Amino acid sequence: MPYLGVVVTLIRRALVALGMAGIVAAVLRARGTGGTPPQRGGWRELTPDDLS
Amino acid sequence: MRVAVLGLGAGGARAARQLASTDSVEEVVVRDLRPARVDEVAASLGDKATGDRGPYNAPVEADVVVLAVPAGLHVELAGPLVARGIPVVSMSDAVEDVRGLLDFGPEAEARGIPVVIGAGFAPGLTCVLAAQAAAGFESVDEIHVARLGTGGPACARQHHRALRGSAIDWRDGGWVRRPAGSGRELSWFPDPVGPADCYRAALPDALLLVPVFPGISRVTARLAANRRDRLTSRLPMLRPPHPEGGVGAVRVEVRGRVGGSSRVGIYGAIDRPGVAGGAVAALAAVEAARGNLARPGAGGLAGLVDSSGFLIELARRGVKVAMFEGAG
Repeated sequence: MPYLGVVVTLIRRALVALGMAGIVAAVLRARGTGGTPPQRGGWRELTPDDLS
Repeated sequence: MRVAVLGLGAGGARAARQLASTDSVEEVVVRDLRPARVDEVAASLGDKATGDRGPYNAPVEADVVVLAVPAGLHVELAGPLVARGIPVVSMSDAVEDVRGLLDFGPEAEARGIPVVIGAGFAPGLTCVLAAQAAAGFESVDEIHVARLGTGGPACARQHHRALRGSAIDWRDGGWVRRPAGSGRELSWFPDPVGPADCYRAALPDALLLVPVFPGISRVTARLAANRRDRLTSRLPMLRPPHPEGGVGAVRVEVRGRVGGSSRVGIYGAIDRPGVAGGAVAALAAVEAARGNLARPGAGGLAGLVDSSGFLIELARRGVKVAMFEGAG
């Protein structure tokens, strides 16, 4: 089997690449955030007059 | 009046401090299993404080008892108090505690005493904000609660547990269980906290709000967390929790109808959860001891207090709330 060494190396490299891609994806998923901020309006602290 | 505070973590100690600074409170009994903590808190409160080293379930003579012990102990401690006709204010935000305390409703009603459940930052302040927002509507369709931050270490541990349990939402007249940690939603809290990712979690808010708003179609509660919190929720806590916690925030969105058209009311607050929760519990205890609550029996603050008066008194004690304007 003259090609056995080449095939094993190929499989090993593919597994390493898949593993690294998985790690990068996990890090991005753990750190990512997003969303759309409110397009209008804002927060205003309420006074006792507002509450009564 | 004589008030007992059982448990002197971040929330309990703040509640005791608020009670000691209330004119109508003559004595505050502070009880904890840690003698050094009892001495420290009692010394800081001055003449009104009486230290008590427990155990938690030892009989206590008081006009009202605030339960600020770790989650899981509230039902066991509330039972004998209700049986003796002593009003109880619980700061627990654990679903099991809230369910168990709600079961005391018929007995508390028969004895003519209140059992105030979830009297903290969230639930607690969030219940009052929901009632305040709902007061402007003819009917309420939906309530969505979001919270960020923790008080002391016990609160942080409960936050960690909540992310691995089951969320309890109310949808179209029935309870729906969803996996905690799912349902990511970006919530915009009052400035300067701003946006945070929030997830479903084992939170008791819906259990307390649904009975107050008959006919409501949806009630949900979400907990701010990062994805690392979510991914590690099934593991032991990797880092010891902070003794006091940082700044927290709550956001309550209420959807309802006025004159046939849909309206949205969004209220929020930012504060240290232990500080604000302590103020809410203390004020609830004073109102309970004075007999100022709306009815006897067990329930959350949304159905027991006058929301505007409660929020005005909280503001006087330093807990300020805000409203999002321009939401439509």
